[in-house]
Amino acid sequence: MSADLKKLYSSVIKAHNETPYHFEKPTTTLTIIKAYNPICGDRFDLYITSPITDYRLPLTLHFHGFGCAISKASTSVLIKSIEGKSLNDAMEIVDHFLRFINKELRDKELILPDEFLAFSGVHDFPERLECATLAWKEMKKYLESKNE
Amino acid sequence: MTPVTNSIKSLFPIFSNHPALVYLDNAATSQKPKSVIQSVIDYYEKENANVHRGLYKLSSSATTRYEEVRNKVAKLIGASDPNSISFTKGTTESINVVAHGFLKKLLMAGDSVVISGMEHHANLIPWQQVCKEKKALLRIIPVDGDGNLDLSTLDSLLTTNTRLLAITHISNVLGTINPIEEIISCAHKKNIPVLIDAAQSAGHYPIDIKNLDADFLVFSAHKMFGPLGAGVLFSLEKYRNQIEPLNYGGGAIKNVEFDHTEFLEYPHNLEAGTPNISGVIGLGEAIDFIQSLDMKSSILYTNELMIYFKEKLNSLPFVKPFGNPVKSGSIVSFQVKNVHPHDVAGFLGNVNIAVRAGHHCAQPLLESLGVPSTVRVSFAIYNTKEDVDRTISALIDLKKFWS
Ligand SMILES: Cc1ncc(COP(=O)(O)O)c(C=O)c1O
Repeated sequence: MSADLKKLYSSVIKAHNETPYHFEKPTTTLTIIKAYNPICGDRFDLYITSPITDYRLPLTLHFHGFGCAISKASTSVLIKSIEGKSLNDAMEIVDHFLRFINKELRDKELILPDEFLAFSGVHDFPERLECATLAWKEMKKYLESKNE
Repeated sequence: MTPVTNSIKSLFPIFSNHPALVYLDNAATSQKPKSVIQSVIDYYEKENANVHRGLYKLSSSATTRYEEVRNKVAKLIGASDPNSISFTKGTTESINVVAHGFLKKLLMAGDSVVISGMEHHANLIPWQQVCKEKKALLRIIPVDGDGNLDLSTLDSLLTTNTRLLAITHISNVLGTINPIEEIISCAHKKNIPVLIDAAQSAGHYPIDIKNLDADFLVFSAHKMFGPLGAGVLFSLEKYRNQIEPLNYGGGAIKNVEFDHTEFLEYPHNLEAGTPNISGVIGLGEAIDFIQSLDMKSSILYTNELMIYFKEKLNSLPFVKPFGNPVKSGSIVSFQVKNVHPHDVAGFLGNVNIAVRAGHHCAQPLLESLGVPSTVRVSFAIYNTKEDVDRTISALIDLKKFWS
């Protein structure tokens, strides 16, 4: 087993893949954010079940769908990281994660939660960058549309 | 199994550059033998000139070489007339030429086109789009749980309003070899022309267009040891003057005036612009390579590998194979339970085993199998038993890693 691969499928990623956070289809939803990658067939729906009030995301978010371990775990971490956050905070978190994956962070920004660092393995597998960022990019678009 | 393979492997430079490579993605594109690569290099180093236009030696020899390949392709598929062969960029372009240049003007509202449920997107979307535009119906021959076509429906699908039947010879996902002779004869009884997508079979399986009686047959050079960007459209003589080009331009004309153009005849009318001369020359070389092999033993050999792999795969309790067609080429689709196909392919890739994961450009088929994606392994003549053993043992490692 190569060390690269061990790093890619870190214990955090394996855990999120096996028991993803709030992985269910709610009975009613207001908005479904579609994180689909037609090239590889990954399809996740991110559910917003109640209205956004006071510029704040609902206290609980859910997601459902299918995709590889990296994309599933990254969507799970996304949901867990931003539910209940203000739109501004959520935006900052999403931006931070995306810039981390894209290696755009400056040194002093490198203090990252463990659940973000768990994805550093994808830096050795450029073909998996898309898996790690799929849901985050869609969430970013959604947040931008709400912040206008 | 024939020991010939080790020497065959040495004819493919990719394996000397990557000695540890286990290449099992042959359905996507085959590797190229040295002779094919060298023919492309030689063309550029020693023969480069544009075709059909020059009165100097290089140009006329490029033209001769290019035109000779029509002959070779015609021979490969048992066609008597080299001018039945039009060169395209590949299978996809060939199908689009037939869809837009031939079918579209015949198709009326309420007519139908019949395809099967196992088509590659290339043999689905062009028909779907033309049907949409002309308010015609796209009708589908269903696929059963084993991956065979349900031909009991064929007779009722083919009606007096059916303008074309388009079907793949070999499924690029499940490996199913379809009984195209039977299907073609069924369609011809109702005077319906048939297009055969031979992307997975040309050069690997015997095709005799005279016996087969297909009206159109299409394939790509790159899946049969040839270069990228060159492909073939075969058309039966009776349709040739009914196919209009997708591209208009130089090289395809007899005479041009400002208000009028007189076009060359098929196949030259379809080949406007500077063609992929080196690609076509490489295709010719690939055909020479194929003819240096014994096709029957190659099929037996890759089939044995496929069966050996399937047997080993079936002994792994954590693997779910897809499809069990009556007749199968050397393509196998499967899933590892609880591990997404991309994670499987990524894991195998990490130990130098190249397989494909995804929907393999056949989303509707995958939908009918009830999965969004599979892992696909596809064999060619340079693969070995050892490749299979390494793959199986990597799958066992993968299972350990994930549990
Ligand atoms: C059955 C089948 N049809 C069509 C195609 C499309 O071929 P190309 O991409 O060379 O045009 C492929 C290639 O993947 C195929 O396997």
